[in-house]
Amino acid sequence: MYISLQGISKQYASVWAIDRVNMAIAKQEFVSLLGPSGSGKTTLLRVIAGLEKPTEGRVLIDGQDVTELPPHKRGVAMVFQEFLLFPHRTVRENLAFPLRMMKMPKAEMDERIDWALGILSLQGLDGRYPNQLSGGQQQRVALGRGLVGRPKVLLLDEPLANLDRELRQEMEVEIRRYQMKLGIPFIYVTHNQEEALSMSDRIAVVNKGHVEDFAERTTLYDKPKTAFIAQFVGRSNKFEGKVTAADGGSCTIDAGGLSLTASGNGGLKPGDAAFAFVKNEKVALAPEGFVGEDNSLPCTVRDVILRGAYAEYLLETSDGLGLVASRPRSGEGPSIGHAVVAHWASGDVDLYPVKPDLGLRR
Amino acid sequence: MIGGLRISRDPRAWIFLGVPSVFLVLLFVLPLVSMIVLSFWRTENYHIIQDWNVDNYYVIATAGAYVTFLIRSLVMAVIVSALCVAIAWPVAYGVIVYGGRYKLLLSLGFAIPFLTGEVLRVIALQGLLGPLGLFNGVLMALGAAPLRFIMYTNFASAIGLVYLYLPIVVTVIYLSLLNFDMRLIDAARIFGAGPFRGFIEVTWPLNLFGTLIGFALCFVPCLSATLVPRFLGGPSGTLYGMALAQQFGESGTWALGAAMGVVLFLLSIAGVLLVFRFVDLRRSGFTGFGRS
Ligand SMILES: Nc1ncnc2c1ncn2[C@@H]1O[C@H](COP(=O)(O)OP(=O)(O)OP(=O)(O)O)[C@@H](O)[C@H]1O
Ligand SMILES: [Mg+2]
Repeated sequence: MYISLQGISKQYASVWAIDRVNMAIAKQEFVSLLGPSGSGKTTLLRVIAGLEKPTEGRVLIDGQDVTELPPHKRGVAMVFQEFLLFPHRTVRENLAFPLRMMKMPKAEMDERIDWALGILSLQGLDGRYPNQLSGGQQQRVALGRGLVGRPKVLLLDEPLANLDRELRQEMEVEIRRYQMKLGIPFIYVTHNQEEALSMSDRIAVVNKGHVEDFAERTTLYDKPKTAFIAQFVGRSNKFEGKVTAADGGSCTIDAGGLSLTASGNGGLKPGDAAFAFVKNEKVALAPEGFVGEDNSLPCTVRDVILRGAYAEYLLETSDGLGLVASRPRSGEGPSIGHAVVAHWASGDVDLYPVKPDLGLRR
Repeated sequence: MIGGLRISRDPRAWIFLGVPSVFLVLLFVLPLVSMIVLSFWRTENYHIIQDWNVDNYYVIATAGAYVTFLIRSLVMAVIVSALCVAIAWPVAYGVIVYGGRYKLLLSLGFAIPFLTGEVLRVIALQGLLGPLGLFNGVLMALGAAPLRFIMYTNFASAIGLVYLYLPIVVTVIYLSLLNFDMRLIDAARIFGAGPFRGFIEVTWPLNLFGTLIGFALCFVPCLSATLVPRFLGGPSGTLYGMALAQQFGESGTWALGAAMGVVLFLLSIAGVLLVFRFVDLRRSGFTGFGRS
């Protein structure tokens, strides 16, 4: 593998910012690190970059153990969360910085810079100073500074956080395009699941410094490995209850009077506390009186939220339990106050133990 | 870049700008003007005689001694200020990087010398460097020859001036570094700069403005220093400021003193202008221009 992280941990004073992370990344891969704030994403990037020395573990880039190498000898580039453009240099000079450090000839340098200005639509701004740019423009300069030097790896720390939705979606496509064109791995930090899902080949979900799963984006979405991932990726209905019956093929849990059937048992035994997740889009709606699949639940529509191509129905059972169903907006859906039956297949229920033992140090 | 001077019509603007202006006029402009006027008059037997002439300036330019004092003072001030900056940088940098939670305490420590008077500090130093002072006392007690170059010489004056103004320079550079985003060094390192290159490309230029202020705050008082050369400088250590002070004291030639003061003032202004002529503020990351 092109990049290999072997048992990386980083301890700050009392916290383990990252905890025994193992990852192997191929040369052409676009990898996202997805996790909530404070989960250790930036720290992991800084360890790969060499700005932070890991407390334990090794970092290998292109077959070479770089754990002891300072950042300027690693050939990596980074787009920082806070941009960190050089305030005393113009846009052009900021872009020239990595090239000057490589002692690139002037003509080639100009060519590279013009290329970067072009792909990032920064033409005409090259004489400005960073404090004369908008947040989005600064972000694009930061991205350009990462790309111009054609690094071995590009590390991106939430590079699109400051852009509006339209520009962000445009940039997502662009970033993905450069990655394929340059043929180098991008490691992309975000806490935005849509961003991770739209660009990545594989996604590593980081929680409390630990990588919970590192998998293909479809696998991660369709078969979340842990309760944390089920909650964090996609939008789901979450139930908490006790397992009442379990055999090899299926499992029944009692969630506050509601009985749920799941196929597979997630390693649970009767009596265990469990979380069950059903993705919003797996919840189908049928007219009142419908009885059919493994799980069906009479509800009332409390509200309908339009999300463009689909709508979210906020449902409530007679016991006051809330549910959300996302349905494509084809034809007339049920309207507010209507009685409906929410139903879903047992195969769409993901089960997890409430207290998994991940052996985390924080 | 700066745009015309546009002052808001808001009456509050007049209060906020007016009060400092009044202070400036009362405490700075008026004394300066009176000094300039006095420098074109004459003093005779401790009396001021109001007839306009330029004799004082003629004396300063031709009497030889004053030019010598001035050049000696300039050289001294440049050397002392450069030394102060060279010492202050690593000290301030060390406090910022390694100070941890004691940073504030350590930076307050820079201010401790200000708690005693300047005279007291200079006399204490005289006690250390003089013929019977600590250094030479110990040397002689050990049977060695005393160090002559630290007794009543320009070298001793330089030590004294560095000692006096180092705390100010450290404080100013410390404040500059405190405002400096150290993570910019990370950015430089990521993009291929080693530690030295990173310093040259990022840390130094972005703290140049602060460093120059520190330099100036040492340079200007060094030019007009009177106590240090008097107590430590010895017979050939007369500096311009000391000679200036004498005009107002023993010799009672106030008009000549005023002219010397005007020369000093113009020289200081020229020095500051010269520095800013060669420093592009933008290149020092100065963002006080706002977005233009
Ligand atoms: N220099 C440091 N000293 C002490 N603790 C630190 C340091 N840097 C990070 N931490 C801690 O390590 C943990 C991980 O921080 P990190 O910045 O990697 O999170 P993150 O996933 O990037 O979060 P965000 O999405 O908010 O940027 C946090 O608990 C943080 O407080
Ligand atoms: Mg972060």
